[in-house]
Amino acid sequence: MLNHTDFDLQCTDLVRQFDDFTAVDQVSFAIKKGSFFSILGPSGCGKTTLLRMLAGFDDPTSGDIFIKGKSMIGVPPNKRPVNMVFQHLALFPNMNVSENIAYGLHRQGINKVEIKHKVEQVLARVNLSGSGQKKISQLSGGQKQRIAIARCLVLNPDVLLLDEPLGALDLKLREHMKVELKKLQQEFETTFVYITHDQSEALVMSDQVAVMNHGQFQQVGDPQQLYFQPDNAFVAGFVGDSNKWSATVIDILSDSLQVKTTTGLILYAQKSNEKAFIIGSEVEVFIRPEAIHISQVSTAKADQNQLTATVNNILFDGANSQLLVEEQTSREEIKVKLPQTAEFIHLKKGDNLQISFPKQQVNVFPKLQDK
Amino acid sequence: MMTKGKSKTPLKLGLLLLLCPLLLWLVLLVILPQLTMLNISLQERIAPRIYEYGFSNYIEFFTEPLYWNTFLRTAVMSIIATVLTLIIAFPISYYIAKMLRGRAKGLLLVLCLIPFWVSELVRTYGWMILLRESGVVSSFLQYIGMTEGPIEFLYTDATIMLGLVYSSMLFMVVPLTSTLESLDDSYIEAGYDLGGNGLSVFWQIIVPHAKPAIVSGCIVVFMLTLGNYLTPILLGGKSSLWFTEQIFTQFITRFNWQQGSAFGVLLLSISSLIVWLGLKLSRQSFSKVMS
Repeated sequence: MLNHTDFDLQCTDLVRQFDDFTAVDQVSFAIKKGSFFSILGPSGCGKTTLLRMLAGFDDPTSGDIFIKGKSMIGVPPNKRPVNMVFQHLALFPNMNVSENIAYGLHRQGINKVEIKHKVEQVLARVNLSGSGQKKISQLSGGQKQRIAIARCLVLNPDVLLLDEPLGALDLKLREHMKVELKKLQQEFETTFVYITHDQSEALVMSDQVAVMNHGQFQQVGDPQQLYFQPDNAFVAGFVGDSNKWSATVIDILSDSLQVKTTTGLILYAQKSNEKAFIIGSEVEVFIRPEAIHISQVSTAKADQNQLTATVNNILFDGANSQLLVEEQTSREEIKVKLPQTAEFIHLKKGDNLQISFPKQQVNVFPKLQDK
Repeated sequence: MMTKGKSKTPLKLGLLLLLCPLLLWLVLLVILPQLTMLNISLQERIAPRIYEYGFSNYIEFFTEPLYWNTFLRTAVMSIIATVLTLIIAFPISYYIAKMLRGRAKGLLLVLCLIPFWVSELVRTYGWMILLRESGVVSSFLQYIGMTEGPIEFLYTDATIMLGLVYSSMLFMVVPLTSTLESLDDSYIEAGYDLGGNGLSVFWQIIVPHAKPAIVSGCIVVFMLTLGNYLTPILLGGKSSLWFTEQIFTQFITRFNWQQGSAFGVLLLSISSLIVWLGLKLSRQSFSKVMS
């Protein structure tokens, strides 16, 4: 039994079944007090349904939700100690900024003087002092965002739910708001549950990320864990950029696996203790572009995959520049990170390169069964 | 500057041509008749076929209690009918707009519309068949033993009200439904999420959003009710005392066009006044409500 007091939010075996479709399937998790928890998944993975159950707009078919140790089954949304920032924010257009923030306080029956004080205080904390009399339509996208969060945080909820609130913003503002959200969360010390399909949002802001697919949590961990030690092929493919190949295990050595992709590229991968493979089993192989080292001359070390390749294309994107190279024997195309250093500045199409990567960086998973 | 001036002239002409049907309609069928009516209403007969300008027709209205009593009664009954229509139509609209999905939604709107496929006269006679002494309702009540003798439901104020509300319902349901549909569910959910209950969500979020539709629906229903002739006459009979009936009597029975015109002008004035008051009270602008 988990100790309830350390966790603001706990779910046990949560299931939400629609007629012939299971949106949320046996999800269990616990979120530590004051942490930033993200649920990351492609659209249709059930993350919105999950969030709506936490907020109380939808009831689980089975399972339980505990907030600060209290079961929330049968508790209506207006009685739950959670608040939600909606995807399109849902700031009431007929009220000004102050009235929007004061709405929830009025519902709690707090006296007017105190409400005024609290509204001013929270406006100051989100750096929007003096905007109280503004209409919602007069605010910029980022300001609306902050007001929507202030409107919830002024009620001092145990958990704040955020439903992809950055989706509607343009790229520059989104980058800025990511940092700002993280800061706000740390400042208010409120537990945030953030759902998104954007992995960068999840990785940048979160203490813990749950990757969700087909209604189930695929992996829960901190961003580094998800990135470097994915549990399965879905997480490896969804989080971050990867070279992904279908392959077959052709040999099992004492500490490594030898796999052969469908085009005939032979790679060595670290043998892990958890996953058992037999020769001939179908696998998926993932290698991150930045894990691959490129050089003009051979620098072969033992224990490394060493390949000769030809430059096919240079995708220049500043610090995110990539090379598409073609391995010489199998003609398999491989994405490689291109460091913007003097050594490679004159690299051009058709050049030959040596590429190498340690076998620890080659992730091998059993082939995903398509649902 | 030159090009601007050149392009402006044909545009103006085109606009004028496009506006032509509307302007003709407005001037010939709305403004001109009203002005003629105003003109006729200001003429008083001093001898056969000899008329002079004066206010005697209006003075007649204020000195004869029957006239202004009918007038006030019509206005008050119309306001009550409008409020009743709103109270009944709002939950219906909310149900259609927010609770229903897909086919059921269209079906219910069509169900509201279907009675309007037959003329008002036929619909009103339908009510008469139901409500008269030997009608369906009366017979049924006798059949189940609720009453011993037949009951006359027609010719009461309640019956008039029933007919007025029934015939105005659609004009309230349609604007309300479309406006409520445009209210994103997340606003309602946000209202609950922030601790609101049904009542506060209704008054603070749903009503402010629906306000333009409420006001425009009320204006349309009020105008239609105030100017309604058939329903009060058929369902209310001789005791209906509806102001349009007075106008009809003056024009057709008494052949006193001067008095009838004066009544017509007065009816237009009071409906405009009440609409203006309604807009002021609800703090809405006419252009916003009607857009």
